Amino acid sequence: MIWVTWRQHRTQAVICAGLLGAITIVAVALGVWMRSTFSSDGLAGCLASSGGAGCPAAISSFTSEFNGGAMMPLILALFVIPGFLGAVVGAPLLGQELERGTWRLAWSQTVPRTRWLVSKLALVTGGLVVFGVAVTLITTWSRAPLDRVSIRLQPPPFNFEGLSLTCSLLCAFGLAVLAGLLLRNTIGAMVAGYFAWEVPFLVVTLLNGPLHIMTATARMPCQAGCPDASTHSVPPVTGNLGDLVLDVTRSGNQMIVSYLPASRFWTLQLIEGGLYLAIAVAALGTAVWLLHRRTT
Amino acid sequence: MTHDLSVPALRADRLGKRYGRQWGLRDATFEIPAGSVVGLVGPNGAGKTTLLALTVGLLAPTEGQVAVFGEPSRAHTADTLARVSYLAQDHPLYRAFTVADMLRFGASMNPSWDRALAQGRMEALGIPLDRKIKALSGGQQAQVALTLALAKRAPLLALDEPVASLDPIARLEFMQDVMAAVADGGLTVVIASHVISELERFCDWLLVLTGGRLQVAGPVDDLLARHTLLTVPRQTPSAALPGASISRTDSDRHSTVLIAADPARMAAAQQPGWHADPVGFEQLVLAYLRRPPLGVSRAEVVAS
Repeated sequence: MIWVTWRQHRTQAVICAGLLGAITIVAVALGVWMRSTFSSDGLAGCLASSGGAGCPAAISSFTSEFNGGAMMPLILALFVIPGFLGAVVGAPLLGQELERGTWRLAWSQTVPRTRWLVSKLALVTGGLVVFGVAVTLITTWSRAPLDRVSIRLQPPPFNFEGLSLTCSLLCAFGLAVLAGLLLRNTIGAMVAGYFAWEVPFLVVTLLNGPLHIMTATARMPCQAGCPDASTHSVPPVTGNLGDLVLDVTRSGNQMIVSYLPASRFWTLQLIEGGLYLAIAVAALGTAVWLLHRRTT
Repeated sequence: MTHDLSVPALRADRLGKRYGRQWGLRDATFEIPAGSVVGLVGPNGAGKTTLLALTVGLLAPTEGQVAVFGEPSRAHTADTLARVSYLAQDHPLYRAFTVADMLRFGASMNPSWDRALAQGRMEALGIPLDRKIKALSGGQQAQVALTLALAKRAPLLALDEPVASLDPIARLEFMQDVMAAVADGGLTVVIASHVISELERFCDWLLVLTGGRLQVAGPVDDLLARHTLLTVPRQTPSAALPGASISRTDSDRHSTVLIAADPARMAAAQQPGWHADPVGFEQLVLAYLRRPPLGVSRAEVVAS
């Protein structure tokens, strides 16, 4: 089964390797450039001495330069790669066998179809995890200077740091595998798998679904006048560059800050990754169950 | 490969398969001895593929059961899958694979894989191992698919329309290879086919299906001996004939009736003006194919 799986998915493996290579080149180039700018702007010293309070202008210019312009192509690519790649790899796994009639060959060999499917899913999932983790590590390394002076709790980079990208990839893969079984067509399954993946993707990316259930509230005295609710100062009112300030209201001589502490990054990643993984497991489990049960 | 020859290679017991509200196959009962070459005949949609898929373990029966060498076929189980080699219609193969890849696929998927047989057949057929499947002719593809089935070394070989897409030469070569494998390995073979002439040449057992019903089942020689082509005056009612009339063709003054009656019974019932002839394989098959399946509550099984 290992060889059969490899032989049937090696083109996709080559595509993944090519993609990983391209991402690595771009991310390493950006990472090196970012590091040199970071040190030439004196940000390291500023962070060490004042936690960023002493150099808001330098931080603003650094984040706008790298969070926007230079990083943009990679950021956009990382938004679509999980859905796109998951669909491309998942759709043919069952869709092509059913579309071309080769299921009658594959499932009449001595290896029963359930074992055939579970082996394939395990091996391909393993490959995708390796790809996802590699992309995550490389891009996270690349962005490390930026992450020291900006917020990681929102996409980007929330969608490709931590668990998110790998779990999102598996989610799209699972949905495309199931679509292939139901639609019996590769292209149809790719499209259906991709758009099905868009649902959880949009929920977590645009609605920031998991974020808002994890907010913290801080009351602090106003020093030299309370800031406006709309003020996004650098560093923020909470004093930590990584905190995501959602709302500031005044109450007498105090301000009430509702914010997401940077320290909740991994908790939020677990929630989002768990959501993606639950969908992936449900889709793949359904596919295995349907295939095992189907006797018509 | 050694099997008790007293155990039937294939035994169906009131086997039925329903798709939604439609029965694809119903009430099929027969017993085929090991070593037979079985012709499975029927129009499209008659249930041939259903019967084969039930036998192979690709489908589960709705009622009844089918057993291969005494062991009931169960869908998706390694035991059942290992007992039958199946060559599906249009001989599906992975088109992007090379021939060598295809053979390695067979080896990976079947513990009983006979590598020497597979390699030897490719050599004998002159099919290059590094050639892509899609670059092979239809006949060569069929041969690669047959090789996969044979090298699995299962005692029962089920072929679904194996020669339908082949030219006459490729057809003949393919069938000769099947027969050679039968002679070598004591295989039992079931061949579903439309090509009656092909079956006449190779088969010693016959199953006729129409509309999901078994019309007739039995050894070919036996069936031929038990049927007679009778020419009678046109007004003779079918009820007056010494056996069930399978088909009847009326002309101006005479009727030609194929009846299920052996020569002894025929001789006893002989009347003036009647003329009895032995029946040919093709006539027999066509007669059963034309007989309407409706109203046949139970397939007429001619015991062997």
